[in-house]
Amino acid sequence: MVTLGLVLLGVALLAGAVSVGALLWGRSLGRGGEGVTHAGYLATFVAMGALTITILIMVAAFFRGDFTFYYVAQNHSTDVSSLSWLYKLSGLWAGREGSFLLWAWLLSLFASWVAYKRLEFTDALSNMGLMVTNLVLFLFTAGMLFSEPNNPFKVTPAGLLDPATGKLIGEAAAWGMNPLLQHWAMIIHPPTLFIGYAGLTIPFAFAMASLIVGDSSKKWIEIVDRITIFSWLFLGMGIGLGSVWAYVVLGWGGYWGWDPVENASLLPWLTGVGLIHSFTVYRRRDGFKRWAIMLSASTFALVILGTFITRSGIVTSVHSFEADPVSLYLFLSMIIGALVAAVVGIAMRWEMFAGNDEFESLSSKEAAYYFNNVIMMVAGWLVAYLTITSALPKWMLFGGRSIPASTFDAVARPVGVLYVLILAVCPLLSWKGTDGRTFWNRLKWPLVGGGVIAALLLTDFFTTLLPIYKRMIAMGTEPGLRMAQAGPAWYYSTIAVVGLLTASLLIATTTALFIDGARKRAAARGENFFQALLSIFTKARSQSGGYLAHIGIGVILIGLVGSAMFVQDQTFTIPAKAGSTFTVDRYKFTYTGSNDTQLANGDVSSVINLDVTHDGKSVGTVRPGMLQFAQQGQTKLEAKVLSEPLRDVFVVFQGSGETGELTINVKINPLISFAWAGFAILLLGTALAAWPKAGGELRAVPVARGKASPSKSRSKTATR
Amino acid sequence: MNKRARTRLIGVTAIILIAVAAIVLTTGNKSGAYTANVELVSKDASLVGKRVKVSGTVIAGSWDKKSDPMRFTIRDEADKAASGPTLKVIYSGSVPSTFGDGVVAIVTGELSKDGVVNANEMITKCPSKYESAEGAVPVADLVGKGASMVGKTVRMTGYVKPGTIAAATSGDRFIVAEKADGTGTSLPVAFTSALPSGMKDGSQVVMTGALEADGKFVATTLALEQGQK
Repeated sequence: MVTLGLVLLGVALLAGAVSVGALLWGRSLGRGGEGVTHAGYLATFVAMGALTITILIMVAAFFRGDFTFYYVAQNHSTDVSSLSWLYKLSGLWAGREGSFLLWAWLLSLFASWVAYKRLEFTDALSNMGLMVTNLVLFLFTAGMLFSEPNNPFKVTPAGLLDPATGKLIGEAAAWGMNPLLQHWAMIIHPPTLFIGYAGLTIPFAFAMASLIVGDSSKKWIEIVDRITIFSWLFLGMGIGLGSVWAYVVLGWGGYWGWDPVENASLLPWLTGVGLIHSFTVYRRRDGFKRWAIMLSASTFALVILGTFITRSGIVTSVHSFEADPVSLYLFLSMIIGALVAAVVGIAMRWEMFAGNDEFESLSSKEAAYYFNNVIMMVAGWLVAYLTITSALPKWMLFGGRSIPASTFDAVARPVGVLYVLILAVCPLLSWKGTDGRTFWNRLKWPLVGGGVIAALLLTDFFTTLLPIYKRMIAMGTEPGLRMAQAGPAWYYSTIAVVGLLTASLLIATTTALFIDGARKRAAARGENFFQALLSIFTKARSQSGGYLAHIGIGVILIGLVGSAMFVQDQTFTIPAKAGSTFTVDRYKFTYTGSNDTQLANGDVSSVINLDVTHDGKSVGTVRPGMLQFAQQGQTKLEAKVLSEPLRDVFVVFQGSGETGELTINVKINPLISFAWAGFAILLLGTALAAWPKAGGELRAVPVARGKASPSKSRSKTATR
Repeated sequence: MNKRARTRLIGVTAIILIAVAAIVLTTGNKSGAYTANVELVSKDASLVGKRVKVSGTVIAGSWDKKSDPMRFTIRDEADKAASGPTLKVIYSGSVPSTFGDGVVAIVTGELSKDGVVNANEMITKCPSKYESAEGAVPVADLVGKGASMVGKTVRMTGYVKPGTIAAATSGDRFIVAEKADGTGTSLPVAFTSALPSGMKDGSQVVMTGALEADGKFVATTLALEQGQK
């Protein structure tokens, strides 16, 4: 079975190569190349078929427990819970080789989707878009086949497998999936992320195609914009699930620590924001064309960098993989290749991609979109650079040094608030320029609504958040010192207050858009207000989805100010006697006992029971625990959270000392539910925007079979 | 294009970029830590006064968990022969529960002139499952030295006596013997953490710990002998 997998991987490689070759050849033949071009489309489906079977073979091997597969031997789960079947499935992406296979398979699915959709047109743009997609697929498959450490189909060496029983022996008996990965969020997190990663190859491929073909019309945008938003949505979901996992499994009480692996997923997401907004301007205003090309290339390059960071071990992180030289060169050349291709392409087609970028005024909508792009482009590449500095030579800026989370925070906080401010005022601006009176008229009511929200938030700030800050600084423990290092008290508070005010304004101005729109529609069509509001959501999906996402961002910012800047974090060591107590703020914890149990597979679980009261009223019992994995010799902390609407009480049992005393860490995370709720709104809005257009894609651009589009492009080469 | 608007646009862009660069440069230079190993830290004088991130094995008996701030000494993980340079660490902060002899500690802090790292960040990695038996005292020698060895931290090696491995909750974990078949001098071993995976009857093990007065060996680290990889 291992050999069959290897052979099919070879078939996929060949099919990828054939497709690239056929599409290029078909193009060079001009009108007579139709048949050859079709072969290129066909080969896309062959590659997808072959990769689908390899995936099935691998998954089957995990379910059969077939340890002749080296990859299965290394990544199988030893779990015995009711979720064990899921861990068998997730073994596929628990290691590097399998992750690559999944990546390649997902890309082949996207390629096939595009091939299927464009098969009846086979226009020059789609042909070249498919060509670039398959080129990427080819490189990925080659990376798996020709680099030993990346190859998912390797046979377990003879000495490690008992041929009679099929069981692993010797050193291999200790192999298995990292126990920290055995959590539901960690099971969905990688595939959602990889769907996003793979899908973001498509806008890049079509951007390149538009340069190759010389078609600067909005046609390529219309082919890829839904796939782009869809992929960006999945990337966002992946980031969210990763945060959930970090919050409940890693047990440090936070959900974002600027860890290289976390950053890896964020990089393309940031430039993706710029990309999606450039698409809007491209489609509606015929502008931002070079931006769209550069952002799609940047997003793709950062996708590859992200894959590289997480799966190559170039940057040391708690959960990264070992390094290998072939991946280094392969990925590095893909990153540089994508950027060079975009820059050279734009240089060659400079005039054609000029676009309608007339800036009339700084108070125009164009300017808001422009700053959106600048900030996201800078953010994406800056975070990328700061993430990999420890792997860079010493003569480069920060080379050889790992940049701590505090630096990321120091930049992200003011820039994030500025960015949200742009989002908040953007709906108040007009294209070309905004005169003061219109601006004021649009601002009036949102200012009232935003003022109400802001008043509530500021009340919470002065009664809850600020006192926490003062307490933590007074305690002088490590978390308090970190707060003190983030700047003087006035700066810390100002950032927080401005953040809350900006978030209120964003929520208000964007909500006003919906109310205003519904009222106008209701008046024009004689519908009632709620009917009109509903049809705004169902009819103008990309716009209303986008604005809903903006509201989500505002809600997230509220959550971030509370739960990232004002955490009360205390660690206690108490004697392991029933009745021992400690207090954190208004919460009192009483130790009532512990349970130690040994599971069937030898793992030992220790759980402690703590009764909790809030202002003297009982709010329940928390049972944080610790699981010791017998086979892997690792410990997993099982944190427990008491959620209240305005705060989480996060309790971790960190272990018992030599004389039996218990170490317990408690964090009070204010407003954290806003971060999760905002994220849900963001995803909902994005999903609404990603929803396929009625009547199929490209209704606006009918293309005759084998002919080029009737585009408004200034290009002459488009008729190929 | 409106020229004035264009100039303003470029101006605002420049302001944003300069502000971001300024924040990155000031905070990054203050807190970015150089990744280095113990040998490099002891040789490279240019690192003095800078923040460094060093990882190394905690030298047995060099620490006391209860002192605050805690002091301990580390040496490079690769330095199995224990002949290379060592590095003193002063750490203020909560000590991870897995900290102990032979554990790999990754510390971040400023390197002082007298070559001490004043760390305020520490994470621990699980010790390797395999260790060389070189320099470790065989069971018979340890027992043979009698009362003079009681309470002293030593590295010792022996074989797991067949049929004696018990669960973590039951006090004595297993009996270590002079020979693989369980014969010769033997000692009961107490060890509270998880056993190294792959350890079975007759495995050769390398332990760090101390002999107690009641003749029991209390191990703080436990690894399989390297040859069994």
